[in-house]
Amino acid sequence: MDDWQYRPAGDLHLKPGESLRSLQREAGLISSLTQTAWRALVRAYLRGYHRLRIDGAENLPAQAPFVMIGNHTSHLDALVLASAMPWRLRRSVFPIAAGDVFFETPAVALFSAMMLNALPMWRKRCGSHAMQELRDRLLSGPSIYILFPEGTRSRDGSLGRFKPGLGMIVAGSSVPVVPCHLEGAFAASPPGARLPRPLPLRLRIGPPLTFANLSNDRSGWQEIATRLEAAVSALRDSKS
Amino acid sequence: MNLFGLHPMALGITAGIAAALLATPLIFLVLEKAGKLPPALRSDLWTRYKSWLILAPLMVGPLLAGRVPAIVGVFVLAALCYREFARATGLFRERLVSAIVSIGGILLTFAILDNWLGFFNALQTLIVCLIVIFSLFADQPKGYIQRVALGVLAFMLFGVSLGHFSFFANDRLGAPLQIAILLCVELNDVFAYCSGKTFGRRKLSPNTSPNKTIGGALGAAVLTTALFGFLVHCIFRGTPIDRPVHLIALGLLLSLTGQWGDLVMSSIKRDLGIKDMGATIPGHGGLLDRFDSLIFVGPALFHYLAYFGGLTLDLPARIFTGH
Repeated sequence: MDDWQYRPAGDLHLKPGESLRSLQREAGLISSLTQTAWRALVRAYLRGYHRLRIDGAENLPAQAPFVMIGNHTSHLDALVLASAMPWRLRRSVFPIAAGDVFFETPAVALFSAMMLNALPMWRKRCGSHAMQELRDRLLSGPSIYILFPEGTRSRDGSLGRFKPGLGMIVAGSSVPVVPCHLEGAFAASPPGARLPRPLPLRLRIGPPLTFANLSNDRSGWQEIATRLEAAVSALRDSKS
Repeated sequence: MNLFGLHPMALGITAGIAAALLATPLIFLVLEKAGKLPPALRSDLWTRYKSWLILAPLMVGPLLAGRVPAIVGVFVLAALCYREFARATGLFRERLVSAIVSIGGILLTFAILDNWLGFFNALQTLIVCLIVIFSLFADQPKGYIQRVALGVLAFMLFGVSLGHFSFFANDRLGAPLQIAILLCVELNDVFAYCSGKTFGRRKLSPNTSPNKTIGGALGAAVLTTALFGFLVHCIFRGTPIDRPVHLIALGLLLSLTGQWGDLVMSSIKRDLGIKDMGATIPGHGGLLDRFDSLIFVGPALFHYLAYFGGLTLDLPARIFTGH
């Protein structure tokens, strides 16, 4: 067991607005309460309205850090993946969300931070610096990232190509990546739909993969993207 | 709601603060014309001044608005100070301790609103006991002392000490006294800075706060005692407190506890290895960097005044819970 240490919040020296958008943001007492309330609400909604079924929950690692990835067809996806997480890990879960959607205006940024506990990924100006910051946070503290390697929601429901960016976060480390496939979200809430329809959702969680022996460079990142895409495809095609 | 109507001294001091804030740009202008204001210092002073233009009404407004706004206002200040402290030390990750400190602060505020001094005093012991006991339930003996000690320290500094400042609102002279305290505590810092620049040589505590000098501390003690003694004389005219010995003692208490509060926060920051407690106020750092001097003034003056019969706490006790 580690000694207790004085460790200031990662976002201590940021102004309130900057702190909401910071990758170093850490939730306090009030954010924890709002996030827990939001989580309970979302779980009830997904179970009741969408009859969410989760297979393979036993594949989730017992403790942070790890990364959960999946196919991306709707705004429901991150909510479903986050709600699959066991209660005791709830505070470590950080959905990685598009900065231009979830952090553009102050009100939406406040919602994303206080309710979703999301961290921003700025798609147009996402440099290697941001990826490195995400990697450092994952390796140094107990964090669980939820992200979608296609980089955007699929416009026809099919599985798109995985981008290699995720590799920058996990290549050469022992952090497990858990592949998931969510079925039914595109029919329930495709991009552009206003309100979700009460259609069933099914989440399949596959066994975790690690990439400790892959190099943290372009070839390693590409290999990671290829393997994870194959893993998610296999979950999609599995008949169980 | 104000049960007593506004005290002329409350209005007088507020008018004085407003006049000083209006005159400040003129002083900057004069200094600049005289060539005594380098551009870097000038922009720093302007940032601080602009922050004061927002802070001063936020601080004085609730105190003038009446008993309930004053108590709620101090609670908000204490909560924000606790938040900064918890985030700077890492205590915020200890959710249970943090929750007990927060609930303790809310209960203290209720006791003040209720004008129930007995409950206010009881909570000081009971909440400390709760922090010590509930920290057991994490079943993590490593770091137990640090977690408990940080929780107790935070509760004492921001709950109990600032709570004493808040309790003045239950006195018929509360509003003018609180505004006078705020003004003198802030001016105490300014006096220390100016006297230190003028005749400060020997360092006061080089390891804790290298810029402070003994000359600055003494200068502030003299000037603040004179100012606060005069204001207390005007506020407590015709009461047992309006005697030179009390006026000087109260002025000295305010100046010393103010400077000690400043040093306490410097020690905490040095120990943590950080420069500011946050970035809430442009030019000042965190709220705690601005209000550190206020922390111990409340309990010191409260108990002095209560002992020598200066506080009447004239509202009926136990407004909500009494029969």
